[in-house]
Amino acid sequence: MRSLRLAARLARGNLRRRPAQALLLLLALTIATGVLGVAASVYGSADAPWDRVWRATRGFHVSLGVYHPPDEPGNRAFVQELRRRAARLATAPGVVGAGGPWTHLYGSIAVPGGEEDLTAEIRDPGPYAVDQPLVTSGRWLGEGGGVVLESGLAATLDVGPGDTVTIQGRPVPVRGVASTVSRGRFPLSRPAQVWVTSETARQLRDLGMTEEGFELQLRLADPGDAAGFVAAHRSLEATDPSSSVISYLETWQQRRADSHSDIDILAGTLFAAGGLIAILTVATAAVLIAGRMATQVRQVGTLKAVGVTPRQIVLVLLVEHLAIAAGATLLGLGIGRLLAPRVAETSVTVLGTPEPPPLTWGRVAIVAAVAFTVVLLGTIRPALRGIRQSTLRSLVAGPRPPRRPGRLGRLAASLGLPLPGVLGLRSGWRRPGRLLVNAAGLLLGVAMIVVALALRDSLDLLSLRPAEPGHAASDAAVAVLYDQIRAVIFATAGLLLALATINAIIVATFAARDAARNHAVLRAVGATPRQTVIALVVSQLGACAVAVVVGIPLGLGLWSLMEGGDLPEVGVSTSSLLLVAVAVPVAFAAIVSVPARLLARHPVAPLLTYE
Amino acid sequence: MSLLAKEPAHGYELRQRLGTALGPAGGALNPGQVYVTLSRLERAGLVRAVEVAQPSHPDKKVYELTAPGRERVEQWLADVTWSKVAPVEFHLKLVIAAATGLADPVALVDTQRLELLRQLHQLQELAVAEPADSDGVLLLEGASLRLQADIRWLEACERRWVERGSP
Amino acid sequence: MSAVVEARGLVRRYLADGSSIRAVDGVDLVVEAGETVSVMGPSGCGKSTLLHLLGGLERPDAGELRLGGRRVDGFSETAWAVFRRRNVGFVFQAFHLVDELTAVENVELPALLLGVSRRAARRRAMDLLERLAVAGRAGQLPDRLSGGERQRVAVARALVNEPLVVLADEPTGNLDSRATGEILKLFAELRQAGQALLIVTHDARVASTADRLLRMRDGAIVAQTRLGSGASAAGILAGLADLGGEG
Repeated sequence: MRSLRLAARLARGNLRRRPAQALLLLLALTIATGVLGVAASVYGSADAPWDRVWRATRGFHVSLGVYHPPDEPGNRAFVQELRRRAARLATAPGVVGAGGPWTHLYGSIAVPGGEEDLTAEIRDPGPYAVDQPLVTSGRWLGEGGGVVLESGLAATLDVGPGDTVTIQGRPVPVRGVASTVSRGRFPLSRPAQVWVTSETARQLRDLGMTEEGFELQLRLADPGDAAGFVAAHRSLEATDPSSSVISYLETWQQRRADSHSDIDILAGTLFAAGGLIAILTVATAAVLIAGRMATQVRQVGTLKAVGVTPRQIVLVLLVEHLAIAAGATLLGLGIGRLLAPRVAETSVTVLGTPEPPPLTWGRVAIVAAVAFTVVLLGTIRPALRGIRQSTLRSLVAGPRPPRRPGRLGRLAASLGLPLPGVLGLRSGWRRPGRLLVNAAGLLLGVAMIVVALALRDSLDLLSLRPAEPGHAASDAAVAVLYDQIRAVIFATAGLLLALATINAIIVATFAARDAARNHAVLRAVGATPRQTVIALVVSQLGACAVAVVVGIPLGLGLWSLMEGGDLPEVGVSTSSLLLVAVAVPVAFAAIVSVPARLLARHPVAPLLTYE
Repeated sequence: MSLLAKEPAHGYELRQRLGTALGPAGGALNPGQVYVTLSRLERAGLVRAVEVAQPSHPDKKVYELTAPGRERVEQWLADVTWSKVAPVEFHLKLVIAAATGLADPVALVDTQRLELLRQLHQLQELAVAEPADSDGVLLLEGASLRLQADIRWLEACERRWVERGSP
Repeated sequence: MSAVVEARGLVRRYLADGSSIRAVDGVDLVVEAGETVSVMGPSGCGKSTLLHLLGGLERPDAGELRLGGRRVDGFSETAWAVFRRRNVGFVFQAFHLVDELTAVENVELPALLLGVSRRAARRRAMDLLERLAVAGRAGQLPDRLSGGERQRVAVARALVNEPLVVLADEPTGNLDSRATGEILKLFAELRQAGQALLIVTHDARVASTADRLLRMRDGAIVAQTRLGSGASAAGILAGLADLGGEG
């Protein structure tokens, strides 16, 4: 226990003395936890508004929907049978209220861009024991005709009470606008919905709308057990092999879960993005932590005097960095709560203003788990080394001693590459573990570039698809959603590239410091500063080469997992891939040469003096 | 004799001064030796005895340097010959030089060290000329080591006397 | 004889604790071809800085410097690097071999930088290693070599391009007595071969091998002497046999 307290005190002291590295790690981690925090606060942010409307409209606990294709009259008998069963269900034990069965008519309504499928629900004036739609403007059904629009439909058409809508080609006056939870909000949930009186329904039938089914909505004594009620009455979902009638039971929880597809997709994308960013942060963390450990161990003399063992150094390291992880978690969750409402407001399915759900331990745990995992993965190698060494002295011995030049070194020399290049290659291959870690960081960025290229082509193809007749507005809404997702993915790819760049700069800076003495010697025997810069850049290019060679196939593989379904399958052209394979190393070399050049300006003499 | 250069002294005082200058090494000095040496020096004309009257004691014989005596002291100070008893003698030289102001101790050290370095240089040239397995090399190495030790001592002297000199 | 190194009024200042310290304060220095010069002084007297200035590792704040007759004090880093390859060899107290290159690769480095072909550079390097009696360790990395071997490799590296002058900064500081003797013997051979050599040291044994000795204190040369004359061999041998006079 005492050592833990000592470790905590040392950690605090260290953090205060050299804040730069700690702050850098905190920043990198917070980008990942921030994205995850937004995802955690966006996911389920539509639930509270939904609940409010649900309560205000005496929303259903279980609903029974029966549908048959509009132009098959042969189903009549079966539908009648289902109506009888529905009436019986309304009086089943556990039911405290019933609404309907309300008949649905199928037709079409004119929307910007064409026609959209329309359902007209026929209601008596009410009031209703279940599902009393919440009128947001105008009036509910009553004397005087007209239709009441569902709020999403009204928003899409941008109409209000007093305006007209074109149903079945004929203008129909709008009586009012109302919200309900019995179906999702148009346009991401289709078909569009209006409520009509039986009087108006007759007119609509004359205009050509046909019956397509009915819906019964129930309220239970025990809303929590809606699933049990549905299980008990599964028989109602029986289908008749001779007809194409569909009947199904739905609980209110299922409906709520299905009502916000755009929020769900957005949150899912952000979670994935956060995860990818976190993976890339591991590489950055590993380099920062190893560098931090090296600077600490250099104070061997003082540490030995205090009686510190390698294990304690590792302990201090862990405490320091777990504290940083905790800080990043808190910051990320905070950012999430701040930004999530603004992100979720872009949703078209939310019934009102989105509210970030209360932070349950589950959500906190996910973000924290990612942050701590990143830090732990970054600490593993230095920590293991620290534990394995029995004395501080062996820690000070530093990186593994250089090995005789392997085949690669001799190969490089025999290729006749210029001397700085050969020296750089030899230096780069000296630490294969470090090279792989850096390559891992870069290759995610490369893979995301490939995915982003494919996704762009695919989404372009998608927007070129002709809209299906009858889905004009809803398809348009889906396209908007995909645009949002595309923006998120490109932003993520950009972020990953930025992180990879930062990582490359950090790695190059540490490598330059490690190589400082050797480079000073090279300068003393007559190498120009430019030659030492070239050597350093070449030493880093090894990781970049591995990243490109592995990252491009990885990106193609990731894309093949993502494509299909709604995303048109598309390949990435060879020329694009070649461009990536060339542009990435060139950009990398340019980026890495900046810290290399800056460090080459340092005076050489102090490194060669013996103190 | 050089002790007299500072000021004329009685035989006993002389012995005391010698003792102070030599420190622990002076304990081995034979008191009789001082008087014998004084008489010899007087015969050589380098010191002169003077009677000094004292109020409540019989007259004391006080010795002081003659002009040739003083010249001799100066010559001795400037001599860079380095023999086996050199360290003791050189130490005395420094003390006396500082006390009498006849020479600068730091400059003396410099000059002596230069001489020793020259000797070291010659030794090394001799050593290089010798065939590697000859026994003479060992002797040269011994001399070289002693010279190096003496040079190091001279540097210590320099450090001390530079300190003393600076305000 | 032309001067290989000619320095006039070299000054190098440092800022420390707000005030400007002159590490090298108006030094005039000449090294003739084939001469061995040593600069002696207590630590902190500026002799290492002087060596750095002569080799272009640091830039003088004032003064002139000529190497092989060429004016070099105004050179840029790159110009110095190119000049150094051909004309200056360094030997350091800490050896300073590139730790990821083998001994022979270290030695051929300046030659390769000069543009000599790989084969010729390798040959030159091996020849030098043979002359310095470390050819057997040519394929080893520096951390496998003893201190004396490392310094011999460093000397070989300094000589590979036949430089105008070899600058040595406390070359025996990290060596035991035996290795020091070997290096001094090496330096004597270089002297005989006509290589100009400047040694900075505080060790009397090393400094006394030179033809000319400069004493340095507080950034300035305070004394200069020829060591080759003075005490005779006879005098020393007499002293050895304890035939000296009395005190």
